[in-house]
Amino acid sequence: MIGPSHLHNHSEAVVSTQSTGNFIKHTKVQVAKISPDLTESVAKEELQQSCDNFFRENIYLAGKSITEKAVERVVDGDTILIYKKSQLILHILLEAKARNKNFRVMVVDSRPDLSGVQSCERLTAAGIPCSYVYINSCTYVMKKVTKVMLAADALLANGYVLGPVGTALIGLISSTYNKPVIVCCETYKFSERVQTDSILYNELADPDSMLKTLNEEDTPVSNWRDCPNTRLVNLVYDTTPPALVSIVITEIAELPCTSAPVVLRRGAVKM
Amino acid sequence: YQRRVRVGMERYVEEFERKKNNNKDTPIAILAIQVLNDFVSKSDVGTLQQLLEQLKELSTQLKATAGTSNTSVVSGCDLFVRFITLSRGQNDPSSEDILECKGFDRVRKFLMDRGDTFLERLRKSRQKIAQLAYPFITDGVTVLTVNVSRVVLQLLVKAHQKSKKFKVLVTQSEEGPLMVKELNAQGIQATQILDASIGYVMERVSFVLVGAVGVVENGGLINKIGTYPVAVMARSLNKPFYVAVESFKFYRNYPLSQLDLPNDARYEDPEEKNHPEVDFTPPKYINKLFTDLGVLTPSAVSDELMKLYI
Repeated sequence: MIGPSHLHNHSEAVVSTQSTGNFIKHTKVQVAKISPDLTESVAKEELQQSCDNFFRENIYLAGKSITEKAVERVVDGDTILIYKKSQLILHILLEAKARNKNFRVMVVDSRPDLSGVQSCERLTAAGIPCSYVYINSCTYVMKKVTKVMLAADALLANGYVLGPVGTALIGLISSTYNKPVIVCCETYKFSERVQTDSILYNELADPDSMLKTLNEEDTPVSNWRDCPNTRLVNLVYDTTPPALVSIVITEIAELPCTSAPVVLRRGAVKM
Repeated sequence: YQRRVRVGMERYVEEFERKKNNNKDTPIAILAIQVLNDFVSKSDVGTLQQLLEQLKELSTQLKATAGTSNTSVVSGCDLFVRFITLSRGQNDPSSEDILECKGFDRVRKFLMDRGDTFLERLRKSRQKIAQLAYPFITDGVTVLTVNVSRVVLQLLVKAHQKSKKFKVLVTQSEEGPLMVKELNAQGIQATQILDASIGYVMERVSFVLVGAVGVVENGGLINKIGTYPVAVMARSLNKPFYVAVESFKFYRNYPLSQLDLPNDARYEDPEEKNHPEVDFTPPKYINKLFTDLGVLTPSAVSDELMKLYI
């Protein structure tokens, strides 16, 4: 018989990022709500149904709503900078292209996963002119950029944006060059946590993926496990302060970053 | 039937024009809301939906005649419609509920009562701002202000009446001389300065106090062109920058740059596009906003707007 504790064990095993955290909370509530009179198969079906609803409302429809709002921000002649690969941002750009807007995209990528390559592939397939740089050359290209669109993994209660590592760097450089930074984030990603730096809470990905070079050669640190003083740290997230973000586009409203806690307080996030 | 409605509206647009010419001191948004209130009482429709549609249509027509103050007309009319259709008075749980009214005449009376309450609140907004904000003007300060603003004027007059001794510098802008004249007539020492000399005077200024054409969703300011450089200058020399604005000027737009403001807000004549009348000051340059809802920080503006709209 499935119970909340059973679910708890399994959810611990799942890589629990902040955005899935809210979904897990939602599912636990649903499990607790299920009437004990129902048979197991009916209960499972109900649970599946509520998960599907969560997905539909908070992810699929929210994404469409955000796309509607964000597409308005893309104007002819824009050069939009994006970082790595985000389904939501790609959706927005493809939609803008479908509405015959004339713009270019600058894809900034970083190791070790280099997911920006896939972004580039999808955008060029749609006929959007793209440029591709590593994050090291971000300052070099920033002059030509007109706006920056970033996706978030979570929005914390003090307005800080949790994103893939490197987002804070992009935010800082964009701010310095006075380019608007647009963060697109569904409300299910809003978190009650407060964090002011990237070290307090973070995740580590596979350190060996940092060893990959373009030529598949051995690097000097290949045998890092044998060296007691050497560790490879592959951080997954970093935090961007709200002062560096111009606007956060959610499915309910377009907000300044500091208003994230207001959304939480007003109970606008459907759990 | 359609034509009869339209002719009815022209009468209200003319009325609005007439009010504008006769009442230079009243905010244009209040005049627009008075016209809308009048329309509610005289309209002959039978359902709430129809009435709301007609109000929306009338607001659009009034906006078209309002020139660059149209942001306040848009925001004021929008707030009016939301306020009168709120189902229950927020602070008065014993007041009648619109959903319990039987027959459209009762509904119409309900809307008119709410409309009168709303107008009464708006009329008092400048007084409230003056009452809240005059303590910020202490003895011996030098206030810098941009162009003419009746809200700022009322605030300074209130401070003067409370026997505060202060000086005012007014930038020439377009109607600076008018502001100087009004202040001097009230016995306040006011000097006019060239817009080009704000760098020169800023070190002697205690704080900057301006009015507003509109306040946008992120707490940024739309005001007479020339306000943005004053804000940047003030920030650069660490002088506080205050805005005195009525809450009906909270405008639902989120510009990220100067060009994000709609054309009819920026230019007197959107077809000809001579020279923009207004500019946009980002919220990071603004310290506090004195409104009839209280003294707010720019990030609180979004909070207030959410309370009203979401």
